[in-house]
Amino acid sequence: MAVAHVKEYLRPTSLEEALNSLREGGKGARVIGGGIELVLFSPPDVTTLIDLSELSLSYIKENEAGLAIGATTTLTKLIEHQTVAQYLDGVIVGMLHQVASPLLRNLATIGGSLASANPWSDVIPLFLALDAKVTLFDGKYRSIPLSDLYPTRSRLSGAILTEVLLPVPASGTAASFHQFSHTGFDVALLNCACLVKVDAGRCSLVRIVAGGTPRLGAALPAAAETLMGMELTDETIEKVAHVARESADTRGDRRASAQYRKQLTYVGVKRCLQEIRDRLVEGKG
Amino acid sequence: MSKREFAVVGQSEQKVDGIALVSGKPKFVADLDLPATLHVKILGSTHAHARILEIDTSKAEALPGVSCVLTHKNTPPARYTTAGQGYPEPSPYDTRMFDSKARFVGDRVAAVAAETEAIALEALKLVKVRYEELPSVLSIDEALANGAPIVHDESDATGIYDASRNTAADIDITTGDLTQGFSESDVVVETTCETQYVQHTPIEPHVTLSYLDEDGRLILRTSTQVPFHVRRIVSQVLGLPLHKIRVIKPRIGGGFGTKQEILLEDLAGLVTLRTGRAALIELSRKEEFVAARTRHPMRIRVKLGAKRDGTLNAIEMEALSNTGAYGSHGLTVLSNVGSKTLPIYNKAQNVHFFGKAVYTNLPVAGAYRGYGATQGYFPLETAMDELAERLKLDPIELRRRNHIRSGESSPIFEKLGEGREGVAQTIKSCELGRCIEIGAKRIGWSKKRVKRTRDGTWVHGVGMSIHMQGSGIPLIDMGAATIKMNEDGSFNLLVGATDLGTGSDTILGQIAAEVLGVPLTKIIVTSSDTDITPFDVGAYASSTTYVSGKAVERAANKVREQIVKVAAGLLEEDEDSLALAEERVKASSGRSVTLAKVCQHAMYQSDQFQIIASASCVPEESPPPFMASFAEVAVDTETGFVKVLNYIAAVDCGVAINPKMAQGQVEGSIVNGIGYALTEQMLISSKGRVRNPSLFDYKILGARDIPPIEVILVESYEPTGPMGAKSVGEIAINAPVPTIANAIYDAVGVRLTRTPFTPERVFEAIRAARM
Amino acid sequence: MRITLTVNEVKRNVEIEPGETLLELLRQEGYKGVKKGCGCGDCGACAVLLDGRAVNSCLVLAAKADGHEVVTVEGLADDGGLHPVQQTFLEEGAIQCGYCTPGMVIAAVDLLTHNPDPSEAQIREGISGNLCRCTGYVKQIEAIKTAVRRMQGKGDE
Repeated sequence: MAVAHVKEYLRPTSLEEALNSLREGGKGARVIGGGIELVLFSPPDVTTLIDLSELSLSYIKENEAGLAIGATTTLTKLIEHQTVAQYLDGVIVGMLHQVASPLLRNLATIGGSLASANPWSDVIPLFLALDAKVTLFDGKYRSIPLSDLYPTRSRLSGAILTEVLLPVPASGTAASFHQFSHTGFDVALLNCACLVKVDAGRCSLVRIVAGGTPRLGAALPAAAETLMGMELTDETIEKVAHVARESADTRGDRRASAQYRKQLTYVGVKRCLQEIRDRLVEGKG
Repeated sequence: MSKREFAVVGQSEQKVDGIALVSGKPKFVADLDLPATLHVKILGSTHAHARILEIDTSKAEALPGVSCVLTHKNTPPARYTTAGQGYPEPSPYDTRMFDSKARFVGDRVAAVAAETEAIALEALKLVKVRYEELPSVLSIDEALANGAPIVHDESDATGIYDASRNTAADIDITTGDLTQGFSESDVVVETTCETQYVQHTPIEPHVTLSYLDEDGRLILRTSTQVPFHVRRIVSQVLGLPLHKIRVIKPRIGGGFGTKQEILLEDLAGLVTLRTGRAALIELSRKEEFVAARTRHPMRIRVKLGAKRDGTLNAIEMEALSNTGAYGSHGLTVLSNVGSKTLPIYNKAQNVHFFGKAVYTNLPVAGAYRGYGATQGYFPLETAMDELAERLKLDPIELRRRNHIRSGESSPIFEKLGEGREGVAQTIKSCELGRCIEIGAKRIGWSKKRVKRTRDGTWVHGVGMSIHMQGSGIPLIDMGAATIKMNEDGSFNLLVGATDLGTGSDTILGQIAAEVLGVPLTKIIVTSSDTDITPFDVGAYASSTTYVSGKAVERAANKVREQIVKVAAGLLEEDEDSLALAEERVKASSGRSVTLAKVCQHAMYQSDQFQIIASASCVPEESPPPFMASFAEVAVDTETGFVKVLNYIAAVDCGVAINPKMAQGQVEGSIVNGIGYALTEQMLISSKGRVRNPSLFDYKILGARDIPPIEVILVESYEPTGPMGAKSVGEIAINAPVPTIANAIYDAVGVRLTRTPFTPERVFEAIRAARM
Repeated sequence: MRITLTVNEVKRNVEIEPGETLLELLRQEGYKGVKKGCGCGDCGACAVLLDGRAVNSCLVLAAKADGHEVVTVEGLADDGGLHPVQQTFLEEGAIQCGYCTPGMVIAAVDLLTHNPDPSEAQIREGISGNLCRCTGYVKQIEAIKTAVRRMQGKGDE
């Protein structure tokens, strides 16, 4: 049987009940959304699964704070949602179309995608670039920046991720995502996400994130610094991409060498910024 | 040659098993639930090369639910080959069911049969093995080095060319004089290419269900391409009389060569014999990668000498093949590297083909669609492009000046067969010239070649290559068919031939239907049951349409004669004036009688007899199908990614019995070949372990990755084939590697000599070329 | 634990283990059309519709299906006829060994239910999680295009 060591499956009807079960289960308990990670990778000491699907955490709401997405919202629901499609010219939906396959997206939840922290994750780099915030429930609700969840995910022990919030994009902002993979149904050899805000022709806010390095998506502050206050031209983009290549901490593994990942970081950041420039400066797209 | 108007042949009839398959009917091996079936799991070696000093199975045996545990201590010791080939098999007998030595990571060490899969897996963990690790050889060069550890040092193996040098097989054939040939040449080019480990990845892994029937006979319901070889080899290995074994192949989920092997049936069978119970073995996807079969990785050097006008004068081909830890198909795949490639350039009078199949402590290579030709065409067709460049000739023109034509022969046919001497033959059907012409036009060759059109960082290029294969193994393969008539005018067609998804049941049914003048729906096909269907070697060597099809045609003609005789009596007409069409026997006078009536008469009325006939076919030659392959690619100079923009395949397979199915064979082969060229590789660690044994990490093409593919069937008529047909099952997989390599050269001026052409490799090559 | 789920419109009350997958449950209950190709979400041969959406049943815990609706390939046809996608697969020569076919058809049905007029790119994406080694996908994509036209009431091309 696929997950023989799982002995208990619980479907709580309230968040408090879920939290209690999680605490009672100790190291042997895990919460699940779609459950993909657990079916594939659960360690033998995980004996209790707590399914969050019946907790009404599948929602997508627009409010003054931004776009609030419930943790058990599937990736498919995100792709098909009007408001998500309009967020920053469709950058989220564009990224999601490259994630896995429709079969997996119908099951995978946004909470699971963020919590499982797979280093090749496409969702995480983009959501980091978008400055996402997550809400954790540990008896009380707390909101923390998504980046605070990584790299160790210690914040998640004893807490349940209930929502992710994407801020209202300021005007003059654009974002972009690129990934490189061997085939269409493959995880990234490397991915990049960028967000830029331009004020009077100059970059006033820049986030550049690279993932699959092969490590989890992380910011490239040196590259972002290089772009701050500059105009988005071919020359500056080239310079920033070069800094990204130099500063990215890439490693080799069976999928690609460290050197090649640096080249992909350079190309990915360059193409992201070119796309952002086309949208913001020249009003295309 | 003439070609009549066919009624059923040449139509894209729906597959006879199509409705059942699309409805999800339980037609596959594991879809049959039998009571109290034991689940069998295999323990594989954790070392690439090790002696098994001790195995303690006591704890495993004591686990509740465990029925039996098998190791080298309690299983038959005789050596055999797992290769599903005709007897006597041209592969060494170097395998034991369970050996006291492990020769690759994943080699069989023990097996457990238990009530459930979970218990069997638990029991495997309780088997205690004490290994003595031995130094291993993890490459061809290591294996051939002086003083290298010996993979097969056992005293009872037979058929190994030179075990002390880890050489499973050796070939050396020459025609003409190479030294003179090269010295007479105006231009000489040489290239060495290397190909990687790849796996067939049939979506259904290997699976066997064995059980005893009510008469105590051993029934093997198995996912195999070679049911009759399974029966014989299992009988041999288990020491069970052949007549006590029945092998049934139901629907299977793909094979591509990895199921031309006896991998599980011996084990399942032995568990059933020992316990009296049904036994099911299903390989996991990981085991499919590690412990099934793979394509032989090779290093092949090709040297071409030509005159200034482009005529080839001398060809030298040296092949080193890595056959892995066991030698199944080692000799025959090696032979095919030359036998299915060199004859295409028959103008060269001086040809030397030689090479070795070498043992290593690595995953075992076996049969894989293309069977050596796939590896051989890589250096051959890229060297031809290099030669064209040196001679300042268009690559197409160089092919035109050299390829074999109808009415011609090649000395290679006679000198090189499948592991032994071949059979001389003259080409009787060849539309390769037209294939080249049509394909070149479709891809826009003259408009695109050398142009290097740029699109941002992408550069475009076009490339081509030409190919032949074979249709069966002459004088060795044999297929047979039995046809019996039913009183409603329908027929049972019994064939040993093995449909692995290729649709051979349908093709063979169409041939019978054509001869008997009935629609396909009136032919009930039963295949691959060793009790019921006559012999067939099985599905390999592109033999089914040509060899089994011919047997069907012959059997159908014999049945036709019987029908005509009865009908002549009923109609009181001359037999010579009667023909079968539209489910009737028709006289030239216009009078007719239904087939149903004829059979009813023969079955019930007078001079009763069963209208039935059998026939066999041993092919006397192996008429090659031909193919011209063209691709347009775009190469991203910043990342090395290669995108195939358009793929054109012009194929001469004689008369296509079922055009859609013939196209399907070509399309599937091309996509598999593109994977071989661009994305697939099994990565092996420094300890001989497969590092990426999953579809997550081993990338085959998906629906988003395929280019637009156009397959053009350029018809010829093969007089020796059933209805004029030749084979089409393998040829197309040989094309993508050289075609794409040549297209990449056209685009970015870089000659790649190692597959796969991963983005990283291409990028590095572009960078190195710029320096 | 006991669960109740609807499979092909029939309510089933079954005893399961918490760690059992939907694939294991379905095959055990006789739905042999649901295939196992890898057991870990890489090949799509096990795809079924769960509340109308195609999922890899090898990744779904059977317990998750409690109270939900499952449709397997056996449940696609209605009144003994074939679903248009099944029909076009048959006619276009899109079936070779047939092992990937049930999962592929399920994925296509999900696609066409939610996007009745997909572009070729969307069709390719729709079946991107279903691996096939026999066909090269060419005729499967053609078959889906034909099914689209038929389901929209247009003629075949």
